[in-house]
Amino acid sequence: MTNWLKRNQKNGSFLAAPTVVWLLIFFVLPLVIVLVVSLMSRGRGGVAELPFTLAHYARSFDVFSIILWRSIGLAALTTVVCLIVGYPLAFFISTRRRRRAQQITLFLVILPFWTNFLIRTYAWRILLGDEGTINGFLMSLGVISEPLSLLNTQFAVLVGLVYGFLPFMVLPIFASVERFNFRYVDAAHDLGANDVRTFLRVVLPLTMPGVLAGCALVFIPSVGAFVTPDLLGGAKGLMIGNLINNQFGGSGNMPLGSALSIVMMAVVMLSLLVYVFANRRDTGA
Amino acid sequence: MTSYDVELKDIVKDFESGGGRVRAVDHVSVDIADGEFFALLGPSGCGKTTTLRLIAGFEQPTAGHILIRGRAMEGIPAYHRPVNTVFQDYALFPHLTVEQNIMFGLQMEGVHKREAVKLAGEALEMVRLPGVGERKPHQLSGGQQQRVALARSLVKQPAVLLLDEPLGALDLKLRKNMQYELKALQRDVGITFIYVTHDQEEAITMADRIAVMNEGKMLQVGTPKQIYEHPETHFVADFIGETNFIAGALTERGGDGYGSVRLQDGSVIRAQLADTLGSAASAVTVAIRPERIGISTPLNPPTAFGGGVDSSEIAMLDALLVDSQYIGTDTRFTLRIGDGIELVARLQNIDDLAVNTLRIGQKVKVFWQESSATVLDR
Repeated sequence: MTNWLKRNQKNGSFLAAPTVVWLLIFFVLPLVIVLVVSLMSRGRGGVAELPFTLAHYARSFDVFSIILWRSIGLAALTTVVCLIVGYPLAFFISTRRRRRAQQITLFLVILPFWTNFLIRTYAWRILLGDEGTINGFLMSLGVISEPLSLLNTQFAVLVGLVYGFLPFMVLPIFASVERFNFRYVDAAHDLGANDVRTFLRVVLPLTMPGVLAGCALVFIPSVGAFVTPDLLGGAKGLMIGNLINNQFGGSGNMPLGSALSIVMMAVVMLSLLVYVFANRRDTGA
Repeated sequence: MTSYDVELKDIVKDFESGGGRVRAVDHVSVDIADGEFFALLGPSGCGKTTTLRLIAGFEQPTAGHILIRGRAMEGIPAYHRPVNTVFQDYALFPHLTVEQNIMFGLQMEGVHKREAVKLAGEALEMVRLPGVGERKPHQLSGGQQQRVALARSLVKQPAVLLLDEPLGALDLKLRKNMQYELKALQRDVGITFIYVTHDQEEAITMADRIAVMNEGKMLQVGTPKQIYEHPETHFVADFIGETNFIAGALTERGGDGYGSVRLQDGSVIRAQLADTLGSAASAVTVAIRPERIGISTPLNPPTAFGGGVDSSEIAMLDALLVDSQYIGTDTRFTLRIGDGIELVARLQNIDDLAVNTLRIGQKVKVFWQESSATVLDR
């Protein structure tokens, strides 16, 4: 038995068979279906029918381009804010000398996952609402006389997305800083670099893999976000995820929904390509 | 006007550790001259690396003053000090090429890029590693990385180069070669080297002066010869090379720097008194190097010291040869003198008669020059 396993070590592709079958049935096949549907015409009740057409793609880029760009823009902004907030946080956590302090801060980052995402997003409605916590507090202080309209804005969506995806930025950067050898900081100081230059020339480049991974992990789910804009964004904060949802639900246009899905996937694929390219240049491979 | 490059004045460094305080450097004072090759020698945890890091500016002393070229270093960050460090693990920036690594320090000084490229090339030639500028550090061997680290520091032309066990990660043969090369390089560039090592042989072969450290204290500072031949403490004698320690009681202090010590079996020997010997000390130990001990039998009379030495200046004791061990260049003899006291003597394997006629169980005499033995605090 052992010998047989050894002999087949190199051509052990059969070990991957269950995965391949699973992916074929539940990933590739649905994807093909969506692709085909996106190229068909809209029939009665929103279902797809022949003939084939590119009209839905034309509409995706025409009428809905505002929402597409808004999604990309909001996702990019979310990524930037997460990076600005998350990098120092990850750095703080991984540079705690005491193991216990590190465990606790890391635990606090992961803690929100213990509660359902939907419920946490609802909580933001209470915080941001016209009679919500923030407005109530500011008005009681007399800073403002009328409530700020925070809810149902793109700002609210941004806040919700940053809140939801911040851990995905923090964790990979944390892992990168953990691996970072602080002897390089000594070496940079030794060679005459002050703190700012040390950070820009040595620390940041060497933790770049974590930064890139974090950006990918935040940007990709942000583009397709659906719950957050639905609950916090209202009409002004509509994103492509909501649009797709509408096409399959209320509006009843499955081919258009499929086309929008494909477009969104293309955006994600493009950002992944950027990630892979940046990573490859970074590691010098 | 003295030209000291580095002056340490009563340096103390405490570290917080789990609620307690650990004293890593304990009242260390030393002056290091311009162009000197100065070794900090000691076992791991003795404070030698901390001392180096204090000079570099990576740590701040708890008390005391550090002067570099006469200038006080209080409040001067590492990146403004005229020193550079070669780290134990080299700490070459992995994301930069060899050339970029060497240019890093120059660019921080604002040296123009074209000039920096030229200087980097020259630095690589100086460490005999031309043509690797485009490579990444991980594509080089350990020895090559070591040279790059050296080039990266030397290109800055520091007043003082600090080296933290720079050869520690190299294999023995490469180490030996690098020792000679480093020493030659230091002579060429004329920069003061402060060299941290736990390898006594390395310190002895390379350094102009050695400071032996233990438990944060600087026990003795001197030339390799002074340290080896005239250790001032039990620790130094024990740490550097092999030493015999014979316990005894100091019975007489001569004005000539010699004293008489009565051994446990009642015999009395004379030996040089260490400067550091406590004035009230009576329980002492006599230290003597194995290669300083001669063995005499009726076949081999004690002629080893030649002329000029009065026989009255030679200590001689009866001994029983209990073991011998062939170790290549030398033979190592274990001898029992008196009541359970054992000595080790090393004879070079050049005199077949002396070495080959000795038999285990044989009664012999051991002898040494009184000036070779030192009386230390126990």
